[in-house]
Amino acid sequence: MMKSVIQPLESYRLAQYAVPIPCYICETDNTFDCEFCTHCAAPMALAHQANSQKIHPRMLAVVGSSGAGKTVYLGMLMDMLSRVPDRMQLLARGAFSITLQQTTLAALSRCEFPRKTPNEPDRWNWVHCQIRRPGQRRLMELIMPDMAGEAVLEEVDHPHTFRLVRAFLEKCTGVMILVDAMRLREGTREQDYFTMKLLSYLSELKNGSKKEWAKRPVALVLTKADHNEECLEDPAAFARSHAVGLWQHCQERFGCHKFFAAGVAGAVAAHESMTDGRVQVPLRIEPHGIIEPFEWLLERMML
Amino acid sequence: MQVPKNYILPAIVLLISLVNVGLGWLMANVWPAIAGGSGLCYAFLRLVRPVRNSSAKSPRKQPAAVRPRVPKPRKPVDPNDTDALVEQMLEQGRFALLLRPQISSKLDEAQFSRALEKLQESMALVPDGEVVLGRIDEALEDGELDAEEIESSRGRVVGVERFFLDRYPITNGQFYEFVAAGGYQQMSLWDKTILPAVLDLVDRTGMPGPRYWTDGCFPPGEENHPVVGVSWYEATACARWLGKRLPSDAEWVKAGSWPVALSADERTQRKYPWGNTMNPHRANVWGSGPGRIVPIDQFAEGVSVGGVYQLIGNVWEWTGGSFRSGEHPAGELILPSPMKNIRGGAFDTYFDNQATCQFQSGENPLGRRHNIGFRCAVGVCDLVLARSPSARKEPADREPAGGERTEEAVEVHA
Repeated sequence: MMKSVIQPLESYRLAQYAVPIPCYICETDNTFDCEFCTHCAAPMALAHQANSQKIHPRMLAVVGSSGAGKTVYLGMLMDMLSRVPDRMQLLARGAFSITLQQTTLAALSRCEFPRKTPNEPDRWNWVHCQIRRPGQRRLMELIMPDMAGEAVLEEVDHPHTFRLVRAFLEKCTGVMILVDAMRLREGTREQDYFTMKLLSYLSELKNGSKKEWAKRPVALVLTKADHNEECLEDPAAFARSHAVGLWQHCQERFGCHKFFAAGVAGAVAAHESMTDGRVQVPLRIEPHGIIEPFEWLLERMML
Repeated sequence: MQVPKNYILPAIVLLISLVNVGLGWLMANVWPAIAGGSGLCYAFLRLVRPVRNSSAKSPRKQPAAVRPRVPKPRKPVDPNDTDALVEQMLEQGRFALLLRPQISSKLDEAQFSRALEKLQESMALVPDGEVVLGRIDEALEDGELDAEEIESSRGRVVGVERFFLDRYPITNGQFYEFVAAGGYQQMSLWDKTILPAVLDLVDRTGMPGPRYWTDGCFPPGEENHPVVGVSWYEATACARWLGKRLPSDAEWVKAGSWPVALSADERTQRKYPWGNTMNPHRANVWGSGPGRIVPIDQFAEGVSVGGVYQLIGNVWEWTGGSFRSGEHPAGELILPSPMKNIRGGAFDTYFDNQATCQFQSGENPLGRRHNIGFRCAVGVCDLVLARSPSARKEPADREPAGGERTEEAVEVHA
């Protein structure tokens, strides 16, 4: 025996699928219920926010080799700017923007460094925030992803491997390159070569922005400089003596660049982990030089 | 309008000279003209020079007037002149040395009283008792650890004898006394193991002294700031010169957390010297202070129960203990080099939980960091705190056994 039921007609919902939503990073069309872009894996929340609030955030890239300290830098920067509003205030947009700050600071307060950022772009933390600068009424909208260093290196070595990296770097108006000063001081040229490759890659990118890459601001931040007085006092001189290739590359190809030194952990030890092997452990947290490169970049980006 | 007095005479000379020049020209006589010309030159010089002086010389004089006081090294004292030596030692803050049993018997009553006054003025008495070093129980019972882990992580109880602790960290001015007295050249003050490195303990200009000093002297206007840029060995040598020592970890924690025994097994101790909650008005840490080291008399509200200031914040403080990785929140660690303990946090310490009495961090003992200073301690049993009026005349008869002397001292300071 057949039993008849009344099925509500919800075909109007299909109309939403008919309207494509372009990804904010690569501009590929996606359906309205996509969480990540099907082409580059950027979170579609960025596009939804931009559309619903009629905003066009600028993009700032924080890149560097694996273990250079990108996650710690970004998390610490966000927390410092949200704690002391008199210098510059940061207001996160969307709950997803606070995840990076939350995980980084929770780890640091336990005297641990945050876990390594996974290579999969859909697992990266993104920060969409508003910056309020003293004396300026207009808020600046900014997007900063925490990209994995290995993914960036892979894209630099084999272009188009990570579409998100390329698409983001093409569109961003400024870049912050983190270089591990401890490894530079040890004399290994690995950091020097990686940064040179990255700079070459940047200078050959398409000009998605109005400015050519040669004119866009590039802040080179020498991280882990706590125990390196030479680096803290004069980062440019340190780079000239310990990363000659990088220094000359910047002089030749990037008209707007500056070297900075930063550090977060006052002292570091190591810990043998069953799963991760030898893991670095901060013995105390004393951030230095975190806000300065960001301030410098924002000033140049506004010009 | 008032004319300055030093302009009146040149003005009169100017008038007379003009008249003379006029007369000389009218009479076609050279001599009045020459006299008038000379007068004009004189008047011109007198009128112009003050203006030039005021514009050129005053800026050079002004910095001299506002230049901060730079301490001068003390004049050498005749080693045979005991009174002068005692005076100098009191001025240098070496009263603890004068109160040692071997020396105090040679002091007269007035000198002994002054040394005792200095002790009470600059050091606080911390009573004996037990203190818990390591993680405080409440931090362990947050549900993340099981019973076995809690038991293994629980702090160890350490007994502490009565001792005096400096009320303030050692300042630049106090450390200057050590430097000026040739502390870096007195090898007896230094650990033998470190002797080869002492020559390398120099300031920015290559003179013996803390790392951030210049020409053997602290930066102008920072006499009252805690000394920083000193290694653990420099701190130890200075403490020895003062007749003191670095506090042990248990002593440092006891002075700050002021434990109280509730029963034989239970005790309560504070997280911060003022209580269990961070108060940004009481400590110079990141976010609450000006972002730099401040003089020792600031943040006085952070005083401990016993009257010790700035235990938390401003600068980390070296203690006598070696950094043992097991007591760090991260557990067993592999250290890049042997480390000594530092405690209390500094002006740039970011997290409140790293600026507590319990938290310890480590630093290479040769490290001369921008935010690490020290304060000194001395055991009550090491000092003579009271004596009979006939003590100076009969030193051999007066000297009591160590235990008796300690009891006597406690009565004086109770």
